[in-house]
Amino acid sequence: MTVRALVSELQQIVGKGNVRHSAVDLQLYSYDAYLEERKPDAMVFVHSTEEVAGVVRACNKHGAPFVPRGGGTNLSGGTIPVKRGVVIEMIRMNRILEVDRVNLRARVQPGMFNLEFGNALAPLGYQYLPDPASQKAATLGGNVAENSGGPHCFKYGVTTNHVLGLTLVLPDGQVAHTGGKAPDAPGYDLTGAFVGSEGTLGICTEIVARIVRLPEGVKTLLAIYDSLEEASETVSAIVAAGMVPATLEMMDQLVIKAVEESIHCGFPLDCATVLIIEVDGLKDDLDLQAQAITELCRAHGAREVRLAKNDAERAALWAGRRGAFGAVARITPSYLVCDGTVPRTALPQALRKVAEVGKKYNLQIPNVFHAGDGNLHPLILFDWRDAEQKERVMKAGMEILRTCVELGGTISGEHGVGIEKVDAMHLVHGPAEIRAQVAVKRAFDPKDLANPGKMFPAGEEVRHAA
Amino acid sequence: MPPELEELTRRLTEIAGGADVLSGPPAAEYAVDGMVPRVAVRPGSQAEVEAVVAACAANGAAMLPWGGGTAVGLGNPPARADVAVSLERLTRVVEFDAANLNITVEGGLALSALQATVAGGREFLPLDPPRADRATVGGIIATNASGPGRLLYGTARDLVLGLRVVLPSGERIRCGGKVIKNVSGYDMNKVFIGSLGTLGIVTEVTFRLLPLPPMRAVVAGVFGELPEAVIARILESFWLPEALELLDPRALKALTPALGLDGLPGYGLAVSLAGSQETVERQVRDFAACFAEAGALRTATAQAEASVAAWQAVRDVFDRLGGPRGEPLVCKIAVPISKTAAFLASVEALARRLSLPGAAVAHAGSGVVRAAYTLGSGAPLPEVVRDGLDALRREAEAIEGSLVVETAPLPIKRHFDAWGKPGEAFVVMRRLKAEFDPRGLMNPGRFLGGI
Repeated sequence: MTVRALVSELQQIVGKGNVRHSAVDLQLYSYDAYLEERKPDAMVFVHSTEEVAGVVRACNKHGAPFVPRGGGTNLSGGTIPVKRGVVIEMIRMNRILEVDRVNLRARVQPGMFNLEFGNALAPLGYQYLPDPASQKAATLGGNVAENSGGPHCFKYGVTTNHVLGLTLVLPDGQVAHTGGKAPDAPGYDLTGAFVGSEGTLGICTEIVARIVRLPEGVKTLLAIYDSLEEASETVSAIVAAGMVPATLEMMDQLVIKAVEESIHCGFPLDCATVLIIEVDGLKDDLDLQAQAITELCRAHGAREVRLAKNDAERAALWAGRRGAFGAVARITPSYLVCDGTVPRTALPQALRKVAEVGKKYNLQIPNVFHAGDGNLHPLILFDWRDAEQKERVMKAGMEILRTCVELGGTISGEHGVGIEKVDAMHLVHGPAEIRAQVAVKRAFDPKDLANPGKMFPAGEEVRHAA
Repeated sequence: MPPELEELTRRLTEIAGGADVLSGPPAAEYAVDGMVPRVAVRPGSQAEVEAVVAACAANGAAMLPWGGGTAVGLGNPPARADVAVSLERLTRVVEFDAANLNITVEGGLALSALQATVAGGREFLPLDPPRADRATVGGIIATNASGPGRLLYGTARDLVLGLRVVLPSGERIRCGGKVIKNVSGYDMNKVFIGSLGTLGIVTEVTFRLLPLPPMRAVVAGVFGELPEAVIARILESFWLPEALELLDPRALKALTPALGLDGLPGYGLAVSLAGSQETVERQVRDFAACFAEAGALRTATAQAEASVAAWQAVRDVFDRLGGPRGEPLVCKIAVPISKTAAFLASVEALARRLSLPGAAVAHAGSGVVRAAYTLGSGAPLPEVVRDGLDALRREAEAIEGSLVVETAPLPIKRHFDAWGKPGEAFVVMRRLKAEFDPRGLMNPGRFLGGI
């Protein structure tokens, strides 16, 4: 492949101004929220399904890898072009094409930010449920690629449960529609296979999303604890009592401190941990649910339980939670977010292990996580300029993931495999499982051009397995 | 029996034991669309399923996976049928993890048995396809079967956390796991859900569970006209019914005693409610008022145990129709939600025009219409029925929908594809099939586009 020939072809498809290949541009697209850098050969802005199809056809013809990119907020290196090629910047495909209230569906383009979509639906009385903490900067297409979660997953599921159809540009440039407004389309569930495929099966250019009414009522509680253990036991107790809160979020002392220093949401600085618990639905029993939860929290050692009295108080609690990653970034030059998941009842064990790992490797590891669904996010703090420290961080991260798997969980709850967890795939998958996944990859992308070098351990990618 | 099949039968006997390898008339019990497998085998463990599939693969024998047989008519007639692989002996509960709201069971376990187990922990699996006493979890996954409760709880793709699947090579893989959030590699569960056993045999399933709701109720109403506006009003409200079933006049008639109605003719609307006492009581009041305002001719409410029995009847309405003897014709039509009621009316009109005994019901908030008719002695010619189905299919496809044949007599199936014409994405589906089953040994010919 000569880059020059490819660039000139791309310029014909999207116009000269929409193809970038200067040193600065390539540097800009060499990284995301993970810790690596690798420059692409070119970057293109696309504006329509036809343009995406044209660009992908050109890449296919030249044998050039391509990497679709949304907000770049994934934390596993999913948008880093490790095999060079073309980065396809989706961010300008950012329109809502249709809000179809009577069918409880919306058609949206993948470059729209998750929060923007939510803000457009709210005045109509509707919502799109997946709400990753990064929703301000994360795109809907990126959410599809990563099968993003968020605080509301425990009750409402993840992206895949709310995406019912896709327009796809397959890795050979062909356009195909999967699923749609009607349910249960005959044939294999390619929509389901595509969601969470991290850009390795093609590019989605249109999304049919499920929208639902905003709930009639919401109650948000903050429970404050002097012990991490007691808080995580409360989480299991709430579920055991037969309740399904919309969210069960937890933050530890280091995170609370960072959040308070940057946003001031009124979290106490001297506690060990807080739980943010939200119940929603029909208004009739929300007070009773909030009361029952308050009692359970107290019975399990909460020193104080506060009920948000109004929208402003509720918003402050959520600003704190959603701003947690950003706030932690203020106390350290870099951090590695682990994203392991364990069965909920194993949370106390997992947290103990995280603390041990921190001691063993002499690293600070604050915790912020989705306790309801057992999804941990230990944030391993370090300075990226220190190579020795970085090595310790990687070892610590791997040890935490191994613990999650040993406790019956898995290596990634919502951030994906990307390049970060390629080697951890062996912790959860045997050779047969990897081969089956490579078979899916090959069915979509026989030439291994869509975001190559991700997800599969070296030597087990499409080319090697073929 | 050809020599290679005799050798295979010997091998299967070694694996599963002589009593569970059947040929001749006992094997005919496992026929699909009149196609009788030459051998039927009932492996006793997941490891035996692996060995059986490997043996069949080594012999190039075509396999028909069998569960409870409740959905065995779904799809096209098999192109070949050498060995039926029945999972009826795989009925173990592998692990019921009540504290983490999940259960892992083997593929041959009946849904009702699973529900009985989890009810002991005050939990339930919110998946309610018809014939729960016979439908197996493996079959439910293979056919992506669902029921009225999909309105609130979704379908298998929303409730399956993990699977174990024996691939056509005989190799068993694990998909997913036990946790809700899991993005460690591709979401392989989705590849197998609804794949009709064409990519492998599901031998184990891990489901997400929910706590049993403290209270249940059913509100049913009779309407003189198609209650489209009422349905629209319900769907744009804050109410959170579990299910919203629209019944055509003949389905309503079959359910009249079960729902506590008095036989007044019309369209029926039945709502299932579950949750706390406060929310259920409030919704019972709201729905009764809503029905009355919309001009319901009658309204009836069932609470507690009575509501459970009433809802059971709604779920299995097709088994309560009675009527003449004959061969069943069952179709499922999927359309955008707002078109569901109108489509039920189209189906009903066709049935009246062709004088087909039977009924149509709709999951009115989910875009699904199901229709069941009996083709008896006085039935129209197969080509007349086919033309009618074809017209319905075109009407559904014009609004992005589909019509799928769940059961039909062979003369209809032979000339009317059960799934319809595949779309642009079929090229990927065909490659997927070729990757997993290059020799086309699993359920050949029964799925979309001849897969």
